[in-house]
Amino acid sequence: MSAEVRVWDPLLRIAHWTLAASILAAWITAELKVDAAKRAHEWVGYAALAVIALRLAWGWIGPRYARFRQFVRSSSVTLAYARALIAHAEPRYIGHNPLGGWAVVALIALAAAAGLSGWLSVTDRFWGVKWVQELHEGLGNALYFLVGLHLGGVIFTSWRHRENLVLAMLTGRKPAPRPGDVD
Amino acid sequence: MKPRAFLVALALSGAALSPAAHATGLATCDSGAREGWQTQEKLTAMLKEKGWQVRRIKEDGGCFEVYALNEKGERVEAYFHPRTLAPVPTGSKDHKG
Repeated sequence: MSAEVRVWDPLLRIAHWTLAASILAAWITAELKVDAAKRAHEWVGYAALAVIALRLAWGWIGPRYARFRQFVRSSSVTLAYARALIAHAEPRYIGHNPLGGWAVVALIALAAAAGLSGWLSVTDRFWGVKWVQELHEGLGNALYFLVGLHLGGVIFTSWRHRENLVLAMLTGRKPAPRPGDVD
Repeated sequence: MKPRAFLVALALSGAALSPAAHATGLATCDSGAREGWQTQEKLTAMLKEKGWQVRRIKEDGGCFEVYALNEKGERVEAYFHPRTLAPVPTGSKDHKG
């Protein structure tokens, strides 16, 4: 058994999988054509918003790899990473790689916007207002698209660096740094 | 896992996540050709009479789907038959009206 390092803390992992489950449940309950699913869809949305609030706070006060400052990289670093990726020479990151980091930011932002617009659509003030309903649907579809990209990125990066990133998000552990890796 | 397995998984996740756009229909109406339909304006007027504040009417599953605040100020999403303007209970299929 090769050496491993702890990367993802327990709260981060719980937040990740709770949000992932919320998004999946939101998708299913939006597609089901029954009254009960509509109510469930609302509650799933509130749960997602609560998880996002927790994750945002954790991004400031949490352990190292949970912090936004650790993984949100400048545009020049991100572009350099993308270029290296195309040249099949991108380094392995112990935390999020620059594109993965931006995917986290975009996913959280879109999920929050989808949740908030959904909340708005069930207030007396905005109930049945067309643009609010269409905004919520559009944000939901954009979120599903981004989740697809995120999954693609996770699978691709796992393959490139011969490590199981899905397992890492479950156990919190990753193979120890190798020469050339970025911490 | 072999690279090919990754590609299969990627393709599957892509297919599973492709946007599915269709109606949210809580009911469907057997409403036939549009010529025999009543107007949405008439439905709006009828509901206003009852004290409803109509926010939006759209077609869904051959029914008129109404978003409104009812006479008690409660948010309602209700279905009406386009031919008879009779209320259609949600969950009912091919309602004759």
